[in-house]
Amino acid sequence: MNSIRLSWRLLRGGGRKGLLGAGLTLAAVAVSSMLLVFAVTVNFAFDGRADRSAWRNPPPAAKVTGKKSPHKKDAVAVQAVHYQAVGDRMLTVVRLAALDERATPPPGLDRLPAPGQVVLSPALAEVLSGLGGAIGDLRPQPEGSVRLGDEALIHPGELVAVVGHTPDDPELLKPRKGAHGKDVPATWIKGFANEPTNDAIAYQALALIATVLIVVPLLVFGGAAARLTVARRDQRLAALRLVGATPGQVVLMTVAEAMVVAFAGAVLGVVLYGAAAPALSRIEIGGGPWFAGDLWPGPLPLLAVVLAVPLLVGVSAVAGLRRVVVSPLGVAKRETPPGMRAVRVVVFLAVVAAFPVRTAGVGVGVVAVMLGLVFLCVNLVGPWVVALIGRVTTRMARTPARLLAGRRLTDDPRSAWRTVSGVAMTGFVAGFIGLLTPGITSGEVEDPGVAMLIQDLKTGTIVVLTVSFLVAIASAGITAASSILDRRQTYALLRLAGTPLEVLDRARRAETLIPLTVMGGGSIATGAFTAMSFTGGVPSADGLIVLGVSVAAGFAGVVAAGALSRPLLRSVTTEPVPRPD
Amino acid sequence: MRAAGPWNTHDKTQGSVVLEGRALEKRFGSTVALAGVEQAVRQGEALAVMGPSGSGKSTLLHCLAGIMKPDAGEVHLLGRRVDTMGERERSALRRTRFGFVFQFGQLLPELPAEENVALPLMLGGVPRGQAVRQARGWFAPLGLTGMEGRRPGELSGGQAQRVAIARALVTRPAVVFADEPTGALDQTTGHEVMNLLVSAIKENGAALVVVTHDRQVADWCDRVVEVRDGRIVTPAAGAAR
Ligand SMILES: Nc1ncnc2c1ncn2[C@@H]1O[C@H](COP(=O)(O)OP(=O)(O)OP(=O)(O)O)[C@@H](O)[C@H]1O
Ligand SMILES: [Mg+2]
Repeated sequence: MNSIRLSWRLLRGGGRKGLLGAGLTLAAVAVSSMLLVFAVTVNFAFDGRADRSAWRNPPPAAKVTGKKSPHKKDAVAVQAVHYQAVGDRMLTVVRLAALDERATPPPGLDRLPAPGQVVLSPALAEVLSGLGGAIGDLRPQPEGSVRLGDEALIHPGELVAVVGHTPDDPELLKPRKGAHGKDVPATWIKGFANEPTNDAIAYQALALIATVLIVVPLLVFGGAAARLTVARRDQRLAALRLVGATPGQVVLMTVAEAMVVAFAGAVLGVVLYGAAAPALSRIEIGGGPWFAGDLWPGPLPLLAVVLAVPLLVGVSAVAGLRRVVVSPLGVAKRETPPGMRAVRVVVFLAVVAAFPVRTAGVGVGVVAVMLGLVFLCVNLVGPWVVALIGRVTTRMARTPARLLAGRRLTDDPRSAWRTVSGVAMTGFVAGFIGLLTPGITSGEVEDPGVAMLIQDLKTGTIVVLTVSFLVAIASAGITAASSILDRRQTYALLRLAGTPLEVLDRARRAETLIPLTVMGGGSIATGAFTAMSFTGGVPSADGLIVLGVSVAAGFAGVVAAGALSRPLLRSVTTEPVPRPD
Repeated sequence: MRAAGPWNTHDKTQGSVVLEGRALEKRFGSTVALAGVEQAVRQGEALAVMGPSGSGKSTLLHCLAGIMKPDAGEVHLLGRRVDTMGERERSALRRTRFGFVFQFGQLLPELPAEENVALPLMLGGVPRGQAVRQARGWFAPLGLTGMEGRRPGELSGGQAQRVAIARALVTRPAVVFADEPTGALDQTTGHEVMNLLVSAIKENGAALVVVTHDRQVADWCDRVVEVRDGRIVTPAAGAAR
């Protein structure tokens, strides 16, 4: 407890810059936690939609034996589901004939509709009354008639009608256009509880992939944020070690500090998510926006995020502290860094090579895991490549800025990688998505279900890429700022000795843009390669546009993040007396 | 470039004034750091600045070196007014005409020793290969043979300070400023480093302004002044040596 109190003091006593470091960590953790909650909740949201639409895909009765003897023992109703377009929206009509009056009705209805009864979803009721006329046999219903409950709707704006029939009504029995444009006949069903529809399953799978694409960069970002606190502290901690603090105490103090900040950040992130949820629920996917409840993950996942995030940050902090703990001189004495081991490259290549093999004809869960694995391997190989780039840059350096950049890349490839990892990994997402983006527009497709899916793929792409870029650029900004704070004494002394600010700035730019170019290109290629397992391998024009915009946004973001930290560099270097703190 | 030399045989009254501070005043909020300081530095002269902690020694050094603008007073380097220059100009001046040795931490940890020394030359436009070759020339005289490729973290404190001295001198500056350059070293090493610093300065005809708490270090210098409460009180006893 004593060391916790001490570390609290350390946090508060760290001065303005120390607090700035902690503040940056807090902000980083808050943003990641918010997006993490979002990424997790998206899955729940699609699960909810899948559940709510499952009644339209009910289990057939044991055997359908033609029209002669339709009354199977376990059949409770005859159901026909068909679709038609209303303007640019899709109308779902569910025709039902009860065979067993006591059968449990589908969600959203109190009882099965009587023959001739029409139950409309609220949105459809609105459309019909606006139209003032009928759509087929669907007429506007009088004020106060029964409405289809939300539990039966995919989204609040969905147009659904449930129409009651007699079991032998030819209107019910004649085949009509199903989900994908083909005519489907009515089905004898044994209840309304069932597996989600194929469309719902497709959305769930896409949501899972999107989650992986968002969560992996978030983990990397969170790790970077954790290191940030540690990096800010390691000098002081080395001093504490020199004074005689035991490794245990040092670890406990720092980790406690990092975790306190991370906990606050996670709570803030959840609050931010709560604030953003109303706006997020307006994103239209699957033909419409979301119920407020869809984007509420429930207390348990929130609790899990609030507890897991500080834990992850703590683990990451411990990893970052190894150097200080091993030797009291750890940080005070910087030595020639050991080379990055080539094992990283071998692992990376192996995983990438295994991807097409491992994902051929398996479930979406495996694909998601493999995708996450490849993604993490990009992060694994990153520092190695950065070190390599550093050596090349150093060798070729003609100007002081290039030399500084090259040496810095070689000296601490991990931290140099952290600055660009976010954006580079967004390159992976862009490469993956760029290749998967369908070249056709939704208008060119006959099947309204497919048209919607294509539209949604595009929306989802934009959401995932936007989130990725937000994370990446935030992380670039934060790491740029923290690396200035870490090196402020050196920068200040260089400035005192007359090094122009532009040289320092140019060096900083080179040390981010050179690895970004190489690794960004590399991860775009990796992303495209993994996507090739699912498509032919030729990107569509739209995909190329996505890629181009991503590349431009990535570079612009990193340059902007660096430029934003320029005032910090200036303030750090104009402090007349550099004091080690 | 040979280091050892009978530097204290110089006649300290000779040489023209290189750098001069006139009526320098500087305050930080209500703290008066400098309260009217007159100080000239002659060519090839080693000037020690002593005085109690907080008396304004570092502030004086920073004003003279164009790191800080004094609130009042003037600084002249070889007839040019320094204190009125813009930051860019002063920065260029520091890079070309001045050299700096601080207590510690002035070497870039990721650069090998020779590149740390070569950096000021490269900043001045000397091509890299030539700059590094020139930098290497400083290692032997300073007793650093074999240390060219080492990182600052792999050098002892004294070795690192000697690399810093080489870096300060490599551009052949008019004045070298040193703020407690031996403050982080033990006495023996400190004296060794100081010895090298003073002799190297003399060899190169530069002037030296060194802030120190060590009486013996001050005694290596040609002249000692003492600062108290932002004023030069006396040419201290050492000056009579
Ligand atoms: N940046 C600053 N902000 C506020 N006060 C300052 C600043 N720099 C110096 N001072 C104050 O100015 C006075 C002179 O400081 P200076 O650093 O010149 O002392 P010094 O003689 O070098 O001391 P030391 O021997 O301890 O290094 C001190 O009272 C100090 O507190
Ligand atoms: Mg001082």
